[in-house]
Amino acid sequence: MTSADSRRSRMLWLGGAALAVAVPLAVAGNRFAAFIVGIVFVHILWTAGMNLLYGYTGLVSMMTAGIAGIGAYVTTNLVMSHGWSFWLAMPVSAVGAAAVGVILGLPALRLRGFYFVLSSLVIQSAVTLVFVYFPQFTNGDTGITQIPHPRLWLPGEGAVELKGAAFEILLGLLAFAGVGIVHLIVRSRMGAFIMAIREDDLLAEELGIDVTRYKVLVFFIGSLLMGVGGAFYASYVGFISPRSFDVLVSLNIWLMVAFGGRGTILGPIIGCIILVPIPFVLQDLYMLKDIFYGLLIIVVTVAMPAGVYGTFLQRRRAREQAAVAALETSRRAAERIAAQ
Amino acid sequence: MSELLLDARKVEKRFGGIRALRAVDVHQSPGETLGMIGPNGSGKTTFVNVVTGHLAIDAGSIHFAGGPIAGRAPHNITRAGLTRTYQAVRVFGRLTVRENLRTAALSAGDDSLETAEHGRELIRWLNLEQRLGAVAAGLTLFEQRRLELAMRLLLRPKLVMLDEPVGGLSAVEIGRMMALLAELKSRYSLFVIEHTMRVIRELADRVVVLVSGEKIADGRPDDILRDDRVIRHYLGGQRA
Amino acid sequence: MAMDPNLLVGISMVTTGLVLGAIFALTAAGVTIVYGCIWLPNAASGQLFLLAPLVLWSFTIGFGIEPVLAALLVLAAGLPLAYLVERLLIRRFYDVPDRNISYFVITLGITQILSGIFSLTWGRWSDQYNVPPLAAGVTFIGPFPLPTNRILALGCALTLLAALFLALRYHRFGRALRAVFQNREAAALRGVDVRRVYLGSFLLGTSVIFAGGLLYSMAYSFDLSVAWSMGIAAFAIMIVGGPGSVLGALVVGMLFGFVQAVVSVFASPTVATLSYLLAMLLILLLRPSGLFAR
Repeated sequence: MTSADSRRSRMLWLGGAALAVAVPLAVAGNRFAAFIVGIVFVHILWTAGMNLLYGYTGLVSMMTAGIAGIGAYVTTNLVMSHGWSFWLAMPVSAVGAAAVGVILGLPALRLRGFYFVLSSLVIQSAVTLVFVYFPQFTNGDTGITQIPHPRLWLPGEGAVELKGAAFEILLGLLAFAGVGIVHLIVRSRMGAFIMAIREDDLLAEELGIDVTRYKVLVFFIGSLLMGVGGAFYASYVGFISPRSFDVLVSLNIWLMVAFGGRGTILGPIIGCIILVPIPFVLQDLYMLKDIFYGLLIIVVTVAMPAGVYGTFLQRRRAREQAAVAALETSRRAAERIAAQ
Repeated sequence: MSELLLDARKVEKRFGGIRALRAVDVHQSPGETLGMIGPNGSGKTTFVNVVTGHLAIDAGSIHFAGGPIAGRAPHNITRAGLTRTYQAVRVFGRLTVRENLRTAALSAGDDSLETAEHGRELIRWLNLEQRLGAVAAGLTLFEQRRLELAMRLLLRPKLVMLDEPVGGLSAVEIGRMMALLAELKSRYSLFVIEHTMRVIRELADRVVVLVSGEKIADGRPDDILRDDRVIRHYLGGQRA
Repeated sequence: MAMDPNLLVGISMVTTGLVLGAIFALTAAGVTIVYGCIWLPNAASGQLFLLAPLVLWSFTIGFGIEPVLAALLVLAAGLPLAYLVERLLIRRFYDVPDRNISYFVITLGITQILSGIFSLTWGRWSDQYNVPPLAAGVTFIGPFPLPTNRILALGCALTLLAALFLALRYHRFGRALRAVFQNREAAALRGVDVRRVYLGSFLLGTSVIFAGGLLYSMAYSFDLSVAWSMGIAAFAIMIVGGPGSVLGALVVGMLFGFVQAVVSVFASPTVATLSYLLAMLLILLLRPSGLFAR
């Protein structure tokens, strides 16, 4: 990477962090818009995890929402029924969700292709059923309401409820951190390995890469991000139900990554920004979102597998490759002429 | 313990009712170049798949560099020093040449392609310098075979199993590939499956002949290529 | 003569088991044929299963069309729709190696679309749906009273199952279908028009699922949630029986039908669904080719 490139990417990262703070402040007066921003931020965190699993490792997991739900329900239970502080409950439940994710996903990770997807769907369905039919923890289909915001201890003021623009800014920084973590992983040795697994897992194994180990690692980290997002979602929205974490939610998280551009850093962010506000904008007709999302799923799979940002990058790369090839051709021609 | 590099004894592999490998014995000493020839479907690639851990054996034993490898995971076998190339060349098509090489280097434990042992040397020797930025799928077949080789060599193997390394290449390219392999011989132990006899005659120190999963001959190339049984079962009609 | 209530429950369980089993088997057969032939796992099968009776309800209650005619109309209308889907979405993937994942995702998208449409339309019009019966009243099998409609549904289901089984075994198209199941290239070499078989199997599979939904509505009242439970059940039956195996769909379908009937008496039907999920997961992990693998 040239120094111009690294300077530009550093600017992008700073810009991202700045937006995480600036956008909530800009919409602070309009609670409706601010809420959308908050939900977009949570989805950016979730899609970061999904992007790691699907975009970079090639695992089409349909159980991500279930994992997020575990994070949400455990945190909510610990806070509301056992008086824990959110800041202790959240990490505990995130690790718990990740552990459950790995335990449930581990046998499935040894399956390839479609059978893995199907297994993840089965696990998601089972998790949703558990959410509905264990009302002692989840209040069943009715859901849990009046989930409190986290409380911060400020010197001089005591315990202050986290709300308003401050909460949105925190969510923005969280999203930023999530995307940053995924980026660091992708650039590392582990990143090269998971992308090799995505491209050709048998070849990766042949080249000495412990495929199962890395799939499990990716699953753990991805589930961690889902669980953290779930915990914050619950305390931000104040209401959760099994519907908040069912198979359609998993599917739509996949869509945001696929539509935005899987395997890129910006792609899922773009996907969230475009897709998350739609049900809010539709208001009473929010059920149209299912029709809209469903159509997009088909369009992306059939016509636009690289997603919006991915297609843009592909076109740019194709132009670069064409230029390189043209250069190569003229170089060889020049050599031939020089040799005469 | 055995001084053999590769020591496969009485290896059996069955697919349903078909015995793809029948009590096959293959021994290779360090530094030796072993050739394997035989008609299509005689089990040569199956043998490689079994040795590299992609298929489980039904009976027999396989030792590599003194340790048993039958039943171990493929990535562990690779770590022990055994790599292979594929009949239909196999690289990461959508990644660039540099990314392909980097993956192999990282897997070998290096921090990057640049710091990899012999990394720069390999790229230069295999003539890949000009193509580092190109997407692997856009390379010619010969370039892809060289990339495939470079990736395996970055893993610092003790034994490289080559499955039809000149398959699909033009006459000129075959010559150039053979020159590369001749140089490789001096640094690595090679196991070469081939249909082009010229390659076997010039490279192999010893040759094993496989017909219908059974080893019917094992000896020096000159002796093998004149052996009656080999000629009857296989060579009648082969490229010389 | 006073009926022993336990006996009544027992008889009810057996008939429900038979009816559900036959319908499960039929629907799962539709799903497994399409998967075995085209490699298309239809995640939307549950929604399709629900679509047929919903449209039937609209035709009969909404437009006053006579039930049998309406049912035939539904089946007939399904064919051009299925053809459209095959033409636009499915055909383009026939030569793609990993197409089952793409198909799975596409059908998940279709599931979401249909789910959204249902919520906006039928979901708002009624909580529960009852299709007018073809045959009213009650028939007595010996001393036991059973709704005639339910017996009719069972009869139709069993007939269709038999017809399907025989067609696959003896009819020319059925044999072509099985040839393509086994080995697409070999079948093509033998002169089978593989693409036509693909289209045919998709039309057949989809029609069978519609038929299953229609028969279900003959036997029971239903609500929108049947899409999810049936979708899971059909998939589970296909996986446990063995993808592509119609015999597996028959046997496992019957079994699951009885499980559902028995469980519903003692606990929530969701327990049955959970058991299907568990069975599916176990088979996927331990014996992915299913119990009746080809």
